[in-house]
Amino acid sequence: MLFSSIPFLFYFLPVVLIIYFLVPYSLKNAVLLLSSLFFYGWGESKYVFLMLVVIAVGYVLGLLIGKYRNQKAGKIFLVLAVVIDIAVLGYFKYADFFISNFNAVTGMQVPLLKIALPIGISFFIFQILSYDIDVYRGQVAVQKNPITLAAYVAMFPQLIAGPIVRYIDVEKQLRKREHNPELVAGGIRRFMIGLGKKILLANLLGECCAVFRESSEKTNLFFWMYGIAYMLHIYFDFSGYSDMAIGLGKIFGFHFMENFNYPYISKSITEFWRRWHISLGSWFRDYVYIPLGGNRVSKGRWIFNIFMVWFLTGFWHGAAWNFIIWGLYFVVFLLLEKFWLGKYLERAKVWNHIYVLFFIMISFMIFDAVSMQEAGKNIAGLFGIGTEGFVSMESIYYLKNYLLIFLMAIIGATPLPKKIYEKIMNVPAGRKVVNVMEPIFLAGLFLIITAFLVDGSFNPFLYFRF
Amino acid sequence: MKSKPVNEEKRFIFHRNFVLVLVMGVVLFGLSVYCWLKPEDKFSESERRVLKSFPKLTAETIINGKFMKEFEDYSVDQFPFREEFRTLKAYASYGLLGKKDNNGIYMTEGHLSKIEYPMQISMLDNAAIRMEEIYNLYLRDENSKCYFSIVPDKNFYLAKENGYPAMDYDNLFSYMKEKVDFAKYIDITGLLDLQDYYKTDTHWRQEEIVDVAQFLQKEMVGVSSDTKYEVKEVPVPFYGVYCGQSALSVEPDKLYYLESEALRDCIVTSYDTGKPLPTNIYNMEKVLGHDAYEMFLSGTSALQVIENPKVENQKELIVFRDSFGSSLVPLLVDGYSKITVIDIRYVQSKMLGNLVDFHGQDTLFIYSTIILNNSMSLR
Repeated sequence: MLFSSIPFLFYFLPVVLIIYFLVPYSLKNAVLLLSSLFFYGWGESKYVFLMLVVIAVGYVLGLLIGKYRNQKAGKIFLVLAVVIDIAVLGYFKYADFFISNFNAVTGMQVPLLKIALPIGISFFIFQILSYDIDVYRGQVAVQKNPITLAAYVAMFPQLIAGPIVRYIDVEKQLRKREHNPELVAGGIRRFMIGLGKKILLANLLGECCAVFRESSEKTNLFFWMYGIAYMLHIYFDFSGYSDMAIGLGKIFGFHFMENFNYPYISKSITEFWRRWHISLGSWFRDYVYIPLGGNRVSKGRWIFNIFMVWFLTGFWHGAAWNFIIWGLYFVVFLLLEKFWLGKYLERAKVWNHIYVLFFIMISFMIFDAVSMQEAGKNIAGLFGIGTEGFVSMESIYYLKNYLLIFLMAIIGATPLPKKIYEKIMNVPAGRKVVNVMEPIFLAGLFLIITAFLVDGSFNPFLYFRF
Repeated sequence: MKSKPVNEEKRFIFHRNFVLVLVMGVVLFGLSVYCWLKPEDKFSESERRVLKSFPKLTAETIINGKFMKEFEDYSVDQFPFREEFRTLKAYASYGLLGKKDNNGIYMTEGHLSKIEYPMQISMLDNAAIRMEEIYNLYLRDENSKCYFSIVPDKNFYLAKENGYPAMDYDNLFSYMKEKVDFAKYIDITGLLDLQDYYKTDTHWRQEEIVDVAQFLQKEMVGVSSDTKYEVKEVPVPFYGVYCGQSALSVEPDKLYYLESEALRDCIVTSYDTGKPLPTNIYNMEKVLGHDAYEMFLSGTSALQVIENPKVENQKELIVFRDSFGSSLVPLLVDGYSKITVIDIRYVQSKMLGNLVDFHGQDTLFIYSTIILNNSMSLR
């Protein structure tokens, strides 16, 4: 079920909210779990059982890891947990990738398994894995209540597209959390911003990308429009989803970590990755990079560690070579910045932003491509290679058609709107205006979004495939 | 003294949050309750389509996900105030987001039109193959005189001039002319302009295409008709197909039709069910239906025969046509004692031998650029 859908907004969510706030406190986690299973089952009924098995295994192994934490058996149970989780992920997400590559190398014809990817598997596997690891490390206490643990893993606000919420971050809230109008109102604000980003910006920018893909007259201008539209589309799509998840979390009394912090204002690629998909970056840092030794090792080993993390980051995003290349692409820039470019980027005023935006745009063109050949063609198109001239009537039309959306998206990707809002709130008269206008604005926005859902056809979520 | 501003601030925040939760709660729960309780609508007049009804709920449809998929479609189709929300979306698209079209529909020079772009060579080839098959099966051996004409859609006059994507129409016409080389091509583009089309619909206006009919007759029969028609107005507003698709509040068109003594005497028989069924040139019952344009030859029909007892030349014409032909064919009856009107979107061309006696009749293939560029429906 999509957050940005009529069944979620007008059938599922209101019913869940009523039940959740009516039941006694002791039943709230159970309500959250049951509603999350329904939510997941709506889109993936056959995989609800898989998720429950993954949770059950994580729960039992968590108990055993906790019991034997300082003994050899504890380590064995941890290894078992890691192996099982990675095996499940490997089977459901990567089996066909390995088989097709094996076939390509050996010339054999091992049939593909053609397994449908369970939605959100990369997210819930990482969550249960982090729980078992944290129990082993003694950073969290064992959760003896299976409902509470299952509610944490399956919690619908963040189940299928993150942020990757770590058990350590919500441990206390799972036990005891506050519900008040301030949190609910804050949650509504955040959810509406996310929904608006998704429906009014991401979907329309995605539409622009779809028009480009279908066009038979791909001009130089069109390639640039596509590159810019796609990088904005993926940002608003994913950050919009994260905003909705964080907003829903607040309504239910949880504080999820921020997942984006205006990544497109970064002055370097290194900074970009501190601002983009923060929950994934910190997961790989804490569970892969640091255990490998981080930067407190020899230079060669350190480079290997970085290589490993980015190889896995790329591979996590998808079982295809373009995702691996996309991950490794960043290794080049991160090392370049570390050894040489970083100090110049720090001092620069404008070109550092252009550098970041250009190479991030290229990275997402690799990310979006079906094959590396297509990525190469699209990147070459930016430089006028293989294009149908510089402009055409079609590309000019679509530039005009999406111009305002481009402008809104570019401004929306910066902290400018937030700063303006804060300035207004610092003025007493401004606060009064906001006080009156905010509910009207949000209700109006909600109605417009609903109108786009009622009459819209383009509404995919990119991060569902991860 | 210090606690007063703190309390005021707290009150301010509480009040602000309370109002926000209340307003959003009313909107969310209000619409939600209406979603659950609203009786089902069967048909969308504006979109001219049947709306999805509540899907079948069984263990099987839940396990295979069919119920969920169909429920999503149902929830969108049955959403409360659906028409109003569609209108809101259209105005928000144009006004707030600066879009030039909404779902491909644009408005310019007072006309609504749908972007028809790009030109699809595979579709043109498919249309040409269908026509050639008919020629080879039924016409070639009978030495029928074959004619071919293309009706330009509104975008021919509207799109390029106003900056909307437009097909290369010259290329389309010459491509089709070359492909349909067994028929004599009759170019009617010079006889048409934008005013010959309805403002809210895709079709041309019958009262504006008399010259087109005369020209076609002259090319096919050698002489053109000089019939004087009475122009009659349909007493209800005509909301064309783009009205509903655009979801904008626009002024309706006026629908006129041409009447003459010959037309009144024509005998029209429909063979849609396989059996002859008498009908009329103008079906006034259709005026109050979903699409008033269907009053011309009763709209969609696989096979009709129009006999004109006033013409004694025994000349016969077969017209392969789309919906543009519905308003055109009545204006051709003066040249022929019998016209067989065939729409191969509703009957397979391979079946026509069982339904029509091909014996050397003149044959006109007349299709709009929209159908040629989207010819998968031609069977």
